[in-house]
Amino acid sequence: MLGNFRENSLKVYFYVFIAVTYLPLLVLILLSFNRARTPGFPLVGFTLEWWQRFFTSASAMNTVQNSFLIGSATAMISTALGLLAAFALVRHFFRGKNLANALVLLPLCLPPVVVAVGALVFLRTVLDLELSRLTIILGHTLLALPFTTLVLIARLIGFDRTLEEAAYDLGANEFTTFRKITLPIIMPGIFVALMMGFIISFEDVVVAYFLSGFDTTVPVLVFGLQRRATGLPMVTVISAFMVFIMVVFLIVSLLWARRAAK
Amino acid sequence: MSTFKKIVGVFRKRERLTIAWQLSPAMLVMLLFILIPLGFIAIYSFGDMVGLRFIPEWGFHNYVRLFTELDGRYLQLLLKSLGMSALVTVGAIVIAYPVAYFISFRVEKYKYTWLILLMGPYLVSWVVLIMGWRLIIGYSGFLNYILMQVGLLSEPARGTWGNWGTVVFILVIGWAPWLVFPLFVSLEKIDKNVLEAAADLGANPIRRFLRITLPLSSPGLLVATFFILLPMFGEFVTPILAGGTGGIMYGVLIESAFLGWGSWAFGSAASVILMIISLAAATALLRFVSLERLMESL
Repeated sequence: MLGNFRENSLKVYFYVFIAVTYLPLLVLILLSFNRARTPGFPLVGFTLEWWQRFFTSASAMNTVQNSFLIGSATAMISTALGLLAAFALVRHFFRGKNLANALVLLPLCLPPVVVAVGALVFLRTVLDLELSRLTIILGHTLLALPFTTLVLIARLIGFDRTLEEAAYDLGANEFTTFRKITLPIIMPGIFVALMMGFIISFEDVVVAYFLSGFDTTVPVLVFGLQRRATGLPMVTVISAFMVFIMVVFLIVSLLWARRAAK
Repeated sequence: MSTFKKIVGVFRKRERLTIAWQLSPAMLVMLLFILIPLGFIAIYSFGDMVGLRFIPEWGFHNYVRLFTELDGRYLQLLLKSLGMSALVTVGAIVIAYPVAYFISFRVEKYKYTWLILLMGPYLVSWVVLIMGWRLIIGYSGFLNYILMQVGLLSEPARGTWGNWGTVVFILVIGWAPWLVFPLFVSLEKIDKNVLEAAADLGANPIRRFLRITLPLSSPGLLVATFFILLPMFGEFVTPILAGGTGGIMYGVLIESAFLGWGSWAFGSAASVILMIISLAAATALLRFVSLERLMESL
């Protein structure tokens, strides 16, 4: 009887946890269709006005475009750099390897605000660079690189190298071996690394906030609007939009996990 | 023999070249844009500002200001933030643990599907999550509305938004989904036979949990702490948006020093203090957390 109660309360806790963590996302979507001037309850009626304003606002669309651009660039750069570093760190022994590991982990050991502040001071005063989308991409690469590298290291550790040797024995050169053997095997790792790079960039506020100039990202826009408490209906609708993007990502990941499990 | 050595030497040289070109891009990025910048902040923190312009007047004045100005409020703020970080870390782990436990021990099929699904709320931006919570526990939020409908409140309550508790609550709820993952990984590794053996020997469930499950999941607890604690030290987004005056954290000081009143020298000093604390905490945690443990949890 008692055991049964314990089992059930654990199960209930699990579903309540999911419900509570998803609640703000559902409320955002719900209120993005609410007709009230200030977002909140009670619901007064259905409208598409906020969504229409969002999709026709040139500045909002510009930040959405920036976010996608910066996210994609971050994903590709951090995955490429992470992949190369992972190869060196897994397949070779060399002096200073611990140092290299530590350097890769460094951004994880610091609060993002410290990374952002360091990059800001360095870029502005030492390199005298104007802040732009490029500086955000750079900052996001710093955030994403530890994650992409670790994921790819994990993938490479489980790699059966005799497969590559077999290819060499059969007369394949390095390039062919990489393309036909190595790449297909580590592809799931690359996919995960790309996703991580994109998501880290897409959801980051801290680094983008410090390193953006005129062109900014969606989270920075939402931060600014929320901070001044102006245009909260716009904030609601942009947030709801971000939730939809997240859902798309979840679905892609789930389908991928399904496929990988087969 | 000498030919053999020569051949080995050639291979060794080639290997070194390979290592160099594979490793250098990532290392250069880290060196150039993190390590060297940290050095620059350290240098900046000993300088001075005239208005918005940096001047090379070296000294400890920024640190003196940081520790003594406003009767030591900055120092109090730092201590308060560290306390809040610890509270959020413990809170998020405590509420995430049963979820990870449930998936590892009770869910039979589609464990990873559930895990990915759980991650959803963490994958949206913090500012989005905060807006969502504003619409639930804020002044015109869902909670006030429901409580008024039921008749428990006659007018909307203000106490749920814009204070210290709001910040802790949002951070705990926001981080928990992400911490489920490292906790799950370490729980999943526990050999269930050990638990059965303990049960056969007469250990009750609470004892089994405290003596076996919890200690064996300690790697997951450490990885989770590593993931949440260090970002928490510098947190400024949630305090600014949801904290009002009571929920302010040390990260806000850095943010306003740089982007508000523009004193980069003072902001650098504040960042250096934070950097030292974070690196000390990270080194302490990494003594117990291996690279492998971190990787498994991603």
